[in-house]
Amino acid sequence: MNHLSDRHLLLNLEGELPPHEKKLAQAHLEACWKCRARSRELENAIADFITVQQQELTAEAPPAAGPRALLKARLSQLPPAAPSLFRTRWGWPLAAAACGLLVLGLVLVRTALRPEDATPLVSTPNARLTPGAALLESRQAVCAQSSTNNKIVPVALRKRVFEEYGIARAKPQAYEVDYLVTPALGGADDIHNLWPHSYSATVWNAQVKDALEDRLREMVCGGSLDLTEAQREIATNWIAAYKKYFHTDQPLSKPVTPQPAQQ
Amino acid sequence: MPHPLSGSSALPALRSAAASDTDHPRQRLEQEVVELFDEFRLPLLRYLSSFGLSLADGEEVLQEVFLSLFQHLQRGKSRENLRGWLFRVAHNLGLKSRYRAGRDLEHGTATPAIDPAPNPEDQMLTNQIRQRALQVAKALPEQDRRCLFLRAEGLRYREIAGILDMSLGAVSLSLTRSLARIARSAER
Repeated sequence: MNHLSDRHLLLNLEGELPPHEKKLAQAHLEACWKCRARSRELENAIADFITVQQQELTAEAPPAAGPRALLKARLSQLPPAAPSLFRTRWGWPLAAAACGLLVLGLVLVRTALRPEDATPLVSTPNARLTPGAALLESRQAVCAQSSTNNKIVPVALRKRVFEEYGIARAKPQAYEVDYLVTPALGGADDIHNLWPHSYSATVWNAQVKDALEDRLREMVCGGSLDLTEAQREIATNWIAAYKKYFHTDQPLSKPVTPQPAQQ
Repeated sequence: MPHPLSGSSALPALRSAAASDTDHPRQRLEQEVVELFDEFRLPLLRYLSSFGLSLADGEEVLQEVFLSLFQHLQRGKSRENLRGWLFRVAHNLGLKSRYRAGRDLEHGTATPAIDPAPNPEDQMLTNQIRQRALQVAKALPEQDRRCLFLRAEGLRYREIAGILDMSLGAVSLSLTRSLARIARSAER
């Protein structure tokens, strides 16, 4: 006969055995005097210990009145709990609503800042989209124009330019839809000659380009520069053309007055 | 077993009794904590004595325990099994207190058990056996002593395992070891 271990006897006494093991243990105890005696010894050990352990401190401990009064005094001195949104009746619903608004806000901000919606800085045209286009006009015809102001670009055309440059949702007022080859130099009203030039470009901005256009027109009409060459240079790299014809690496704050035309 | 408060079963009664005395939520909470203090002061002091803490140190730890309980309830945290919560916090603060005192009581240096009131001669032997049982218990390894004292306060194996961060099997082995020693001491 396999006897029960002290551990099994104790677990049985404590009601901590699983039901199946409990049945087996109790069946064994009914049949085994030795295990019953050992179980009784363990019970006696519990009784001996608990009796004297409980008596000891109960006899020694002072009355509770003093410590209780001290606790009351200390409790009354504790600061009030910091108000918490979550402890109010509407706390969790409000918190959920706040979270929802936050998420919505983040989505809106994200939407507003999506790459295609942003307002990127454009100071040079994309050569593939805007290679430049010119009318087949002679130098005389070009120089006969009374006004050198750029024509107003129709709204529909402006929209197409923005779409081509992938900034369809950008703020239109942030750009001047500029002619790469200005009409004052024979440039055409063609989408391949239009590009969005950022007003926020702090260095090579639209005003700087206007100065270059004025300079080139003066030179073309003055006979010191071929019209086709002027068109090619401004279409290829207007910034390089500026540097070349103003003899500077940086835009001049006050562009040099063009030399008088030499006929 | 004299443990009517198992888990949180008695707390609603406590709360309703307190509510009749005071109306202010804070006062009600203070009253509830004081009532729990009255109920658990001695069991917690007994458990803290297993750390070798003096009564005075134990009382001081209890003040901290019940101030923490007040803040715990004030923050609206869980009321489930507050008895287990109290023993767990008392355990942690008891360890801190002992550390602060710089005591090393691995093998128990508690004050000798006092002799209860004079007994008739025929009870002397029984009392001697019981005193011996207590002395053996106090000389147990620290973790075994804590297990035994927690069980003596009516905590179930699962609660003890949670407070002392032990497995259920380790709790039952520890208690078996301790009670076997106590049983042996009664044979002598």
